Amino acid sequence: MSAGGSDGTADRPADLAADGECPEQAGSSLPAAELPRKRKGDVEERSGTHGQQSVDFQMDDDLSRSEGEDQQVKMKCFREPHRQIEKRRRDKMNTLIDELAAMIPACQPMARKLDKLTVLRKAVQHLKALKVGTGSAFTDTTSKPSILSHDDLKHLLLRAVDGFLLVVSCDRAKILFISESVSKILNLSRLELTGQSLFDFIHPKDINKVKEQLSSSEYPRQCLIDAATGVQVQVDAPARPPLLSTGARRSFFCRLKHSRVVGKQDKHFLPCTSKKKDSSRYCTLHCTGYMRSCPSSQLDSECDGEMESSDLSCLVTVCRLLTPVSHQPPKELTIRPSEFVTRWAIDGKFTFVEQQATTIIGYLPQEVLGTSCYEYFHQDDLLHLADKHRQVLRSKEKIETRCYKFKTKYGSYVSLQSQWFSFTNPWTKEVEFIVSSNQVISGPGHTKDEEAGNSKALQEDTKQIPIIPGLSSGLGTMIYAGSIGTQIANELMDSYSRMNSSPSSGACSPFGPAQEKCPVVSPLTSTSASSREEASGSSSQSQCDSRTAAGASSATSESLAAVSRININPIQGETSQLDLDLVPGLSSFSSDEAAMAVIMSLLETDVNMGQSGDFEDLHWPF
Amino acid sequence: MKADKEKRRMISRDAARRRRRVESEVFAELSRLLPLQQSVQDHLDKPSVIRLTLSYIRMHTLLKGITGKKAEASHAVKCEQVMESGEEWRGCDRGRDDEEKKTDDVEASEETNMFLRILEGFLIVLSTEGDMIYLSDNVSKYMGLTQTELMGHNIFEFTHPCDHEEIRNNLRLTAEVWCGAKRDFVMRIKGALTHRGRSSNLKSATWKVLHCQGRAKVCVAPSSVSCLLLTCQPLPLSHTLLSTHTFTSQHSMDMRFTYCDQRITLLLGYSTEELLGRSIYDLCHTLDTNCLTKNHLNLCLKSQSVSGQYRMLVRGGGYVWVESHSAVIPSVRPSKSRPGAHQPLCILCVTYVLSGVEEPSLQLSLDQTVHRYLR
Repeated sequence: MSAGGSDGTADRPADLAADGECPEQAGSSLPAAELPRKRKGDVEERSGTHGQQSVDFQMDDDLSRSEGEDQQVKMKCFREPHRQIEKRRRDKMNTLIDELAAMIPACQPMARKLDKLTVLRKAVQHLKALKVGTGSAFTDTTSKPSILSHDDLKHLLLRAVDGFLLVVSCDRAKILFISESVSKILNLSRLELTGQSLFDFIHPKDINKVKEQLSSSEYPRQCLIDAATGVQVQVDAPARPPLLSTGARRSFFCRLKHSRVVGKQDKHFLPCTSKKKDSSRYCTLHCTGYMRSCPSSQLDSECDGEMESSDLSCLVTVCRLLTPVSHQPPKELTIRPSEFVTRWAIDGKFTFVEQQATTIIGYLPQEVLGTSCYEYFHQDDLLHLADKHRQVLRSKEKIETRCYKFKTKYGSYVSLQSQWFSFTNPWTKEVEFIVSSNQVISGPGHTKDEEAGNSKALQEDTKQIPIIPGLSSGLGTMIYAGSIGTQIANELMDSYSRMNSSPSSGACSPFGPAQEKCPVVSPLTSTSASSREEASGSSSQSQCDSRTAAGASSATSESLAAVSRININPIQGETSQLDLDLVPGLSSFSSDEAAMAVIMSLLETDVNMGQSGDFEDLHWPF
Repeated sequence: MKADKEKRRMISRDAARRRRRVESEVFAELSRLLPLQQSVQDHLDKPSVIRLTLSYIRMHTLLKGITGKKAEASHAVKCEQVMESGEEWRGCDRGRDDEEKKTDDVEASEETNMFLRILEGFLIVLSTEGDMIYLSDNVSKYMGLTQTELMGHNIFEFTHPCDHEEIRNNLRLTAEVWCGAKRDFVMRIKGALTHRGRSSNLKSATWKVLHCQGRAKVCVAPSSVSCLLLTCQPLPLSHTLLSTHTFTSQHSMDMRFTYCDQRITLLLGYSTEELLGRSIYDLCHTLDTNCLTKNHLNLCLKSQSVSGQYRMLVRGGGYVWVESHSAVIPSVRPSKSRPGAHQPLCILCVTYVLSGVEEPSLQLSLDQTVHRYLR
């Protein structure tokens, strides 16, 4: 290619002459761009064949000569890109020589930089020394020379794969071959394993599974459905199906015994025949490989009499150790004993609950699945958690909640703190669910006092709020609690549909009371800040929840005031238009009394909302 | 004046020529010392000679660290074991003859060949800078480029630019890596194989998707020898028809099922109808969300992927460990009226069920509960 390059430049004198740049500068600017990755120029220069490389030697000659001569040559313009290529090549060569010098011990202690020829000579010496050292006396000329000996390659492979090669016969799982690396993994020597039955070393519960994997028939008893017609087709498994018709690839986990002591036979190391407690230790391996036919000559001669003379099949696998790392949960959700993970739909309903949760919350997973998480949150935490819920649906990061109370099966509360993360489908970019990692902050016993205090307050407040007739605190909590989640989810869905449809559509934030329909809230809407409107809107809902859930009376009014100033994160991309709905969630309430309650809560909002305040340094009453 | 100048030019020209001849001789000598076939040696250009020399030296230093002490140790263990079992083994003493070594070498060669064939890939040793210090010689079978053509070059010259950052992240020697953390990622690399499997020119290269797995080998001194050992499998692997404990499924690009084969009923208990439209994320253990997301992203960006091992929930309760091999394909839509229309894409998965059902009585997700809550 470089030869081609020089020819090419000769053809285009006009272009180069037209280039007003000083050739020297142009020449120097090019390699600079390539220095970050020293040998970047290679791909362009390298051709597919080696034959062309010999031309390079001559090119070197020509150029050195020309550079030794006068620089002021008329043909300077032609050589310009050529010179750039050559400079690049020289730089590349120099860097290679430097790297080589760095790797050769003899070149190390030199104070000044060695010249190319010396480095090369020292490299020759070094290679000769290496060859002697590796005892390559046995590398005869007949065997194909390779950079690494097969033994070395084997070691590298083992390092990379962290496993061993295993070949077993399919009929009786006899170990036909096992690589030496098994000693590193199972602490068993190759000698004691070869020729044994694999079943002697497998965990008893895995034996059937491995038998299935070793069998070559695909469906011994199954019916296939013909994809085209949808009709069931009976498949007769032939006595010995040719291997091509069955899937050749196998991949499965299995547990194999491993010995505690290196090299020596474990005393407990008996075949799994005894029903007594097996004190062997097992490690889990992932075996992947293929079924192959092995010529029967490779197998033990005693089998020959029983088998037909044609090929037998065997399974050739690489067995990799499954390190604990692969079974551990991802780092963001590291699990300790007092932690559990749950998954909710975007409306807060549990769709997945880890079994560890039961020890902490008392409920079995199936008892909470499908119910809204809000039903278990303490009323004091509803606002905060609803806020966090909104946040997590709109954030790509983990959201951490404060410590909050979660109702256990027995009525008491346990203090939890959670990290929430919303999962967004990589393709649709929509939030599909929320993953919650929950830690216990203090045991249930610790919160009993608080809880007692709360229940007292509960009773007091119920008396103080007669505005909600017909709604007991318990029932009310359930209704509103469940709907909080739904509401928040609907906000998100609306924002999605809004983003998908035209941005100027009238239907926007379900937050924020409308000007027209609710004159009561007009003081709130007099200012233009949409965030405040949202705040009032959401606060109205939260207020109504907190009211019906009945927090402490004095705290209530204060909290209402504080809450109404919450700066809720606006939905991304949202306009500041007002929603025509009166109050969020009203439409979902069937009860008129509930609607009344909401309106009343709006009336109680602190009128000081008219000021455009800074909400950051608020004192939270909680 | 002119004659002087001419004379000077001639002298310098001759001197230069002599230098170059000497240099070429040294290069030739160096190339002959490289353990390569003569036909290859003769056609190496100068930079390649240096690159291969560098690789040879680096690999030698690396292997000293890996095999040096270990080889002796395992040898000693072998002797001991043999003595215990009472077998006669003439090779137990240190002075093993060439015949022994040769058989060992042949055995090792068979083993590595088997290894590489089962892995369906090649081995690559990458420096932390991305230099491909060594590649096993079967690389030509998968990439169309030979070992000597690639050795010493930098991997960033051959891989897709959008994957460079991911590769760099994997090359970095982090604290985890010192403790032996594994690497598992997918990248696109230039492959010069024609459809028929013949080597072609790099100019007509196509992108091949490689699944790379391995770990780092950290060298303290010299630290430049620290590297990553990777086995690379070009995707898709040869599944050669499904076997027991596998099922195929088809998904829309958001990973919702659009089709699933019958086998899933046997393996996981779901009927194929109830899966349609369901997202795979819902059917899997929450803690494996990251694994699935990585797989999904690989599919969207690189069109092929192998998931790691993750848990799929079984209908009645509990879960199984599975591994999926997936690819993005244009969905088959027989439409004579619109032959040239852009085919929508879909994802095809082959999933291997690796384990039996674990914790069968455990109901973790909504689907597993007896009364299903409809969304």
